[in-house]
Parts: sequence; structure tokens; C-alpha cells
Amino acid sequence: MIRGLWDRETVALLMIAAVAPLAAAWLWYGGVPAALRLVMMLLIAGAWHLIFLLARAQPPSYAGALTALAVAMLAPGGLGPLQIALGLSFGVVMGELVFGGWGRNIVNPATVTAMFLGFGFPAAGWPGVTAPLAWAAIGGVALGVGFGVMSARLAAGAIVAAAIAWAAGMAPDRAWMAAAVVFVLLVADPVTSAATALGRWLEGAAYAGLVVLFAANWQGATPVQLSVAAAFLASLAAPLLDELALWAWLQRRGRIHG
Amino acid sequence: MRLPARRGLTVPVGASPAPDAPIVTMLSDEAAVQPAPGEVLRVAPLVAAGDIVAAGAPLARLRHAPEITLTAPMPARVAAVDLAPGRILSRILLFHEPGADRTHLDVSGASDAGGLRDLLLASGAWRLLRRRPFGRMPPPGERPAAIFVMAVDSRPAAPDPLRALEGAEADLDRGLAGLAMLTDGPVLLCLPVGADPALGRGVPRLRRIEVGDGHPLGLAGMQVHALHPARGDRPVWDLHVEDAAAIGGLLRSGSMPETRLVSVAGDALRAGRLVRTQPGAHLGALSRDLTRPGPHSVLSGSALDGHEAGFLGPRDRQVTVLVRRAAARPPHWFVAALGRASRPRPLIPTAALEQALGGSIPAAPILRALAAGDAETAQRLGALSLVEEDLALADYVTGAVPRFSALLRVFLDRAAIEHEGAEAA
Repeated sequence: MIRGLWDRETVALLMIAAVAPLAAAWLWYGGVPAALRLVMMLLIAGAWHLIFLLARAQPPSYAGALTALAVAMLAPGGLGPLQIALGLSFGVVMGELVFGGWGRNIVNPATVTAMFLGFGFPAAGWPGVTAPLAWAAIGGVALGVGFGVMSARLAAGAIVAAAIAWAAGMAPDRAWMAAAVVFVLLVADPVTSAATALGRWLEGAAYAGLVVLFAANWQGATPVQLSVAAAFLASLAAPLLDELALWAWLQRRGRIHG
Repeated sequence: MRLPARRGLTVPVGASPAPDAPIVTMLSDEAAVQPAPGEVLRVAPLVAAGDIVAAGAPLARLRHAPEITLTAPMPARVAAVDLAPGRILSRILLFHEPGADRTHLDVSGASDAGGLRDLLLASGAWRLLRRRPFGRMPPPGERPAAIFVMAVDSRPAAPDPLRALEGAEADLDRGLAGLAMLTDGPVLLCLPVGADPALGRGVPRLRRIEVGDGHPLGLAGMQVHALHPARGDRPVWDLHVEDAAAIGGLLRSGSMPETRLVSVAGDALRAGRLVRTQPGAHLGALSRDLTRPGPHSVLSGSALDGHEAGFLGPRDRQVTVLVRRAAARPPHWFVAALGRASRPRPLIPTAALEQALGGSIPAAPILRALAAGDAETAQRLGALSLVEEDLALADYVTGAVPRFSALLRVFLDRAAIEHEGAEAA
């Protein structure tokens, strides 16, 4: 009997391929400091994967590189190496590895890291997002959807909610670029986003709705900060939205089939 | 009623016969009557090695349900009756015997449900039925809530069921009318889009379902799950349209047809072919002259859900010959231990996974429930309507270890035991 190739690592590699344009744009504009930051994140995440490989027999995953990239791009800057290492270790270990590694985690480790650093060191400045990065992020979503590793429904839900907000005159002009980058790096993760059709529409809409809400009402928050917070809350809500979607599906089936 | 047209996936399997390839009749000299993979049949044999039997003659009865008869697919000399301890049937091996006759059963009593049931049990046609939940032969006294007749088969390189039906349209109508007597619910005839509208006309309680192409939409499980979910107290039967026509032929002539349409395909072949052969035929005889040199394995069933076997399985209509890849060097012990430590492997919900279950079943939740052993959720999401073949594509797509089809079998066996216990109490 024949087997396909779509195991966990294939999906992780395709995710990396999807965000590659974004990473390339970020490295191009960030130069050597950005590259050094990425290398440091890769080393820390890789070290934790190695420790869990030896201590818990958990095979390492290429998804660790995704986490490293997302943290390097989105975590607050201006922190010392110790603080960064502390934040990333917390995110990678408590967000992913203690659950059994990528594929079993319930929140994205990069989201946890960024939130942890944001709460722990509120004086640190959040990075900005420029237009080329935002366009690369949109290309990344298109690639990910084309590869089948990111959900088209998730993206459509976010776009529909953003369009409604725009029509209502609540367009988050200052946040949309950061929101796009955060979407491709954190929200579109297939493991921690919703897994049902309706749940994905709802989660996408919830993410965009939260971004709109925070952009309008959160005084003093930078675009990346509020987008990361929206991604965190949306991914926490994902299991609930999945349950809602399944409940609705079962109700409909119950009505049809008795 | 119509289901969405284009969903599902296409799986390449190497050489396969063109849909309109010529059909050759090849009867193999050997054939075997054997249980489906995983099925346990405790039998009382009625023949011994050396006996000459006519086609359709009874070979064995089930010990717990003596009405159910296993019959000879061809006139033959019994070569061996292989039983495992506990009188569990391994196989009854037959050699073709040209002189022997054909059994004709009396069909005069088959005009009501009871008589038809007796005829199906005595002729061996009962084995063509599959019951959901649990995916086995139905018990002899059961009255299903619905019967699905599958005139579509979307498995890679499967023979077109409508070609198998050519010339037997009248038998099909007779068979469908007979099946309608066995249930109070609907008979659902699943057809490809644009099939002949005359098929099954005039059969009471018949519903025509048009099914789009793309695997797995042409599997009975997807249609049962969508249209008439099976439950413990509401069993659903399914059978292939060629078998429904065979039942019609049985009602007309008193004997089962000699052959069924089988496709021979696979990447170890020079070319595919369509053959008409007897049930239980020897697979090597059908494929040997097409096989390219080199190591290969012969499966009964498709490349996705087939099992390595010597003879065609009871409900199978495909022979697949695959190149046997040289076993890779065994991995380092540490790498091997790592692989074993992380089972079941995590499931990443992707678009391919959704398509692998036809797009209308919540794929990730039901597979996660099976992998976690959460029988209650799996049952709520409709796992009782499925059998192993319905998850074979998900196994292919995700490379799952252990296979979801194996996990589903564990779930179904456990659910069957609980169901028996609940009925006994």
C-alpha cells in the first residue's frame, strides 16, 4: 500500500517556503543586525529542541525555525540577550515542547514569546512594519494557501471582517500592515488555528475584529503589539470556535437525519 | 439529489487500464474462498479435500449462523480446507474442474422478503452485502434502515461500475426491486453525473444520488455518512451495483453469475487490463504476464486500501501490482527509538486532509478523536458510518503512524462489543 509525503515535517517545510519571501524581505531591509537576531533565535530554539530530543525523546521539527523567525521579527527590540533567551525559552518550552512538540501544542510558541516579552518588559519598543514587509506577507498567505498548509477560510474570514470594518468607517489604517505580517507568522499556523470550516471563518473574523477594536481603542499600543495581542486571543478562542462549529454541524445533521 | 461535483484527490498508481479498454475473460485455474481481511468466520465445512463441487454448491456454513452459506465460485475440485484453531476459516482452495456442473436454486419462493432472504443466504450472495456500523456481513435476520447501491467507484484505477453493468440492466432493476423488499427505508442508487436515467426506474422507494468524481466521493462510506448515517439501532447496508445485478440474475436464473469485472493495475505492470474473472480468482494468473521483472507485491484491492494476498478478496474488484522497494538500511537505533516514542504521530490539519475525507466531514476532529481513543466524540461525528477503506486516503495523505484505518478498526471492534453487550442486557 502506497504512502504519501504529507507528514508533519513536509507541512513544516512548506510553511517555511510560504514565509520565505517575508523572511527575505525582512533580512534585506534589516541587514546584519536582523540576521544576527535570527541566528540567535534559531540557536536558542534549536537548543531547546535538542534538549527535549535527549530528555523526552521528542523528535525535533523544522517548525522550530518558524518560531525563531516569527520571534525575531515580532518580539520587542532593545532587550539584552539574557532577556530574549528567557522569553524565547518560555515560549518554546511552555508553548510547544511540554505538549509533545509541534502538532500537539495549543498556542503558537512565537505568540507566547512575544506576549511574554511584551508583558514582562513593557518599556522595550515593539518593532515597526514597513509596506514591503506587508506585501511580502500577503504573498506569503497566497503561497501558503496555494500549498494547502494555510487555510483559505481563515484568510477570507479576516478579509471579510476587515472589509466590514472598512465599510463602517472603522478601518485600522495604522495597523493593517502589522496585522498582515502577524497573520502569516502567527495566526495562519495550521496547528493552533481552528480546524473546522466554520471555525476557521470565525477565527479569521475574530482576529480581524480584535485588531480593529484594539486599533480604535487601545491608546498607546503600537500596531505590532496590538496585532500580536489579537492573534493571541484569537488562537485561545480557536478551540471554542471549533466546538461551536461542530455543535452547529451536529445540530444540522440531527435535524436532517434524526 | 446531487452532491457537490468536484472534490477529493487524484492518486497516481502507475499503469492502469483505460476506462474504455477491452474486457477479456480470464478464469484462473485456482480460486479460494476466504474471509475478508480481519473478518473471523467460524465455519462447519460441508466438503473435504478431493470432493468435486458444482459452481454455486455450498462449501461451508457459519457455525453461529448456519443459514449463511459459503459457496463455490466455479465448478471445482476441493484442493484443501484450511481451518485455524477454533474452526476459523483460513481458506478453502479450489482447482477448476471443467466437467462439473452449475447449481440452480429454486427461486419460486423468493417473491417475498423471507423467501428472498433465504435465497440470498443459500446462494452465498449474502457475502456481497456489507453492513455499517462495523463493516461486516450482516446477521441473517437483520432488516436495514437503508441500502446503498454503489454505481460509482472513485478508487484509483477502479473499473467503471457502469461498464460492469452492460447488458445486465434488466437484472439490475430486478435486483433493486428485490433489495427494496429487504428494507422499509430507501434504496439509494449512487450514480455518476449524467448516468442513464432509465436505471432503476420503477423500483419502489428508490432514490437516485448523483455523485461527482474525485476520490473519496465514490466510496460508500462518504455517501452513507452524508445521506443516511448508520447507527447501532439503524444499520445501513451497502453493495456494489454489479452485485445488485448479480442478485437480479440469481432471481432470474437461480444461479449467481460466473464472473465479475476486475481491473489490473499498478506501477510494476507494463500495462493495465480489464478482466472478467471469477470471485476469489488467483491474482497471479490475472497479472503475471503483464508484470515487469523485479520484486513486486500483489494486492487484492486498490493501491490505497488493498491487502497483499494470493486470491481476490470477497468484495474486491481490483488487482494492484506494486514495485516492492528495496528495504532501506535499518535506521540507527536512536532514530528508530525516536520514531517509536512519538506515536501516534501528530496530525496537522491541511487542505489535503480535508479533501481526503470528501470535504463534508470535519476531518481533523474525527481523526484526532480516533487517534486519541475518544470513542464518544468519534461516534458523535459519524465514525460508525465509516469502514477502513474510507480512511485509506487520509492514511495516504498524512502518512499516519499508526494508520487511521487501523485505529478505526479498533474503535469499530470495541463499539461492536459494547453494542452486543447493550443488546444482551
